[in-house]
Amino acid sequence: MQYCRQCHIHMRGSRKRCILCGKTLVSTDCQTDREEVFPEIPPTYERHLALRILVFISITAIAVSLALEMILSTAVNWPLFVIFGVFSTWLGFIVVLWKRHNIPKAILWQVVIVSLLSVFWDWQTAWRGWSLEYFIPIIYVAAEMVMYITARAMKIRVREYITYALLDSIFGIIPALFILFHLVDVLYPSIICVTVSIIFLAGIFIFQGENIVKELKKKTHL
Amino acid sequence: MKQQKEIEWTSLEIASKLYPATWSLKDPKVFRISCELDQIVSMAHLQQALDLTIDDFPLYRCVLKRGLFWYYLEESNIQPKVSPEAKAVCAPIYMGKKSDLLFRVSFYRKRINLEVFHALADGTGALLFLQTLICHYLTIKSDDFTGIVLANEHSSLSSVRENSFDKYFIGGMRKIKKPGKPKKAYQIRGTRLSENRMQLIEGVMSTHSVLREAHKYQTTLTVFLASLFIYAIGSEMKAKKRIHPVVLAIPVNLRQYFQSVTARNFFSYINIGYRFEKHTDPLSQVIRDTEKLFKEQLTAENLNDVSNKYLAIEQNMLSRIILLPIKDLILRLASRLAKRQSTSSLSNLGIITMPPEFDGIIHSFSFCTNANRPQMNVCSYKDVLTVSISSPFRETDIQKNFFRLLSQAGISIEIAANL
Ligand SMILES: [Zn+2]
Repeated sequence: MQYCRQCHIHMRGSRKRCILCGKTLVSTDCQTDREEVFPEIPPTYERHLALRILVFISITAIAVSLALEMILSTAVNWPLFVIFGVFSTWLGFIVVLWKRHNIPKAILWQVVIVSLLSVFWDWQTAWRGWSLEYFIPIIYVAAEMVMYITARAMKIRVREYITYALLDSIFGIIPALFILFHLVDVLYPSIICVTVSIIFLAGIFIFQGENIVKELKKKTHL
Repeated sequence: MKQQKEIEWTSLEIASKLYPATWSLKDPKVFRISCELDQIVSMAHLQQALDLTIDDFPLYRCVLKRGLFWYYLEESNIQPKVSPEAKAVCAPIYMGKKSDLLFRVSFYRKRINLEVFHALADGTGALLFLQTLICHYLTIKSDDFTGIVLANEHSSLSSVRENSFDKYFIGGMRKIKKPGKPKKAYQIRGTRLSENRMQLIEGVMSTHSVLREAHKYQTTLTVFLASLFIYAIGSEMKAKKRIHPVVLAIPVNLRQYFQSVTARNFFSYINIGYRFEKHTDPLSQVIRDTEKLFKEQLTAENLNDVSNKYLAIEQNMLSRIILLPIKDLILRLASRLAKRQSTSSLSNLGIITMPPEFDGIIHSFSFCTNANRPQMNVCSYKDVLTVSISSPFRETDIQKNFFRLLSQAGISIEIAANL
């Protein structure tokens, strides 16, 4: 072991200097017991390369679109579209990153964001009604399927995804309102979506009712 | 659909409710208890020992989940794995999102480390886990030991996982005379280490020689070490900062005051403060004042008051129905304010006992917590006293002052450091 003459302490390990005062240590005995007590932990560099690339592409796209707009001056407001596009991508990206440890939750969030964005895009592009007629019903049914399949494939336990499946199926009823309030002309996607969701809901309640009650009790204990 | 096993869940007791809300990368609320053996640790045997230990402590299989109003622990089927030590000391365990176990077992050469997220257990609770693990390990490793049981292993499974707070305190606030508005305590400043790492300096010495020194001042080991630490911090204070007292927050294990063997959290705090008048306050005076404060605060009645106050807040209907994200925010603010009322903390895990059969095999135990300011942790095993000072700062002046005070008193010290 080594010794610091200033602090009058013995120092374990093979370091050259006293950790307390920084003075050079002297060996008291020949060569015994210099083994380390703690491993050396190398610094961990955080890998944010994907994030940096995404930031870089976003800024480039917006800058180029602004430049082209000024040079060519087209009828459509391209920079606005590019900015919305970039914004949509980021929103999706952030949600996936944020909820990546809980896949059912990430799916649910994506459904909400994508459906809101689709309405927004539709409205910005002269409202042709495609978002309510096709996009939203399809995305809801797809989400229900994807959630069930991933949950089974990844062996996520029923109670882990049941609340999200429930919420997702409730979303699936929403297109009924589109029909009721005559917001859509093409009816069959909405009808299919509502039917599938009702079947899903019935399945969840009939087979997993106790699980939902337990899950709710746990989540809301005071 | 398949029939599935009933899933057990437990609400957190009051002391641990704070940790999931207030953890951060700078202060991940993790502590470590290590045991150093006389032999290199075998990974395969340690894994076997862990597999046995986890069955004795089902609560350690839990993951932390967010409810609408509170966090709760939920049983999982994750199998804990031992690993060679490859992360910084007291690296974050619970990071908000991912559901993972709340403890980690690692080893390096002759050391076995147990690191625990504080919401799961306090030092004494985690020690019980580590003691059991070491017992299993040594029994598996060598055929010499059979039928060895830990001295304190009379506890049934349910008492190990009980919520002792609810059992012993009824809540409700008795009017406590407040000794004026709490003053802002002196805050230690320094250069932070990169990546929120922490500097751990462990001093190993003879318990008897330190006790002999403490007895010279007619005081106990904890009071003596607390006074030395206050004195070491005071020596680094700038003159104009001396209007602030140096205050040590000292967790008190409530198990000794109330019959309990819970392996979860069961502790309270006392605050010991000293105001340096001039640079020349003698050590003896610091010890005398500290001793007096300990005597005043360390009564069952006082501890009762503090814990009942906590419970009163928990039982308050209004504070219950606040949604979790808002609760998180309030708790974060409150803990930041509370932090300003103390300079540092000192936690004494006490005397660790192991079955006498392991006498020659176990070298020492050590105990440290992650630090967002320099703080001290103490534990002892037989005649080996380990004093660990963890710090987020590069500077080591306080540590130097502290250990030099001991070595000047003629105590022989062996120091180990992680950086
Ligand atoms: Zn030195």
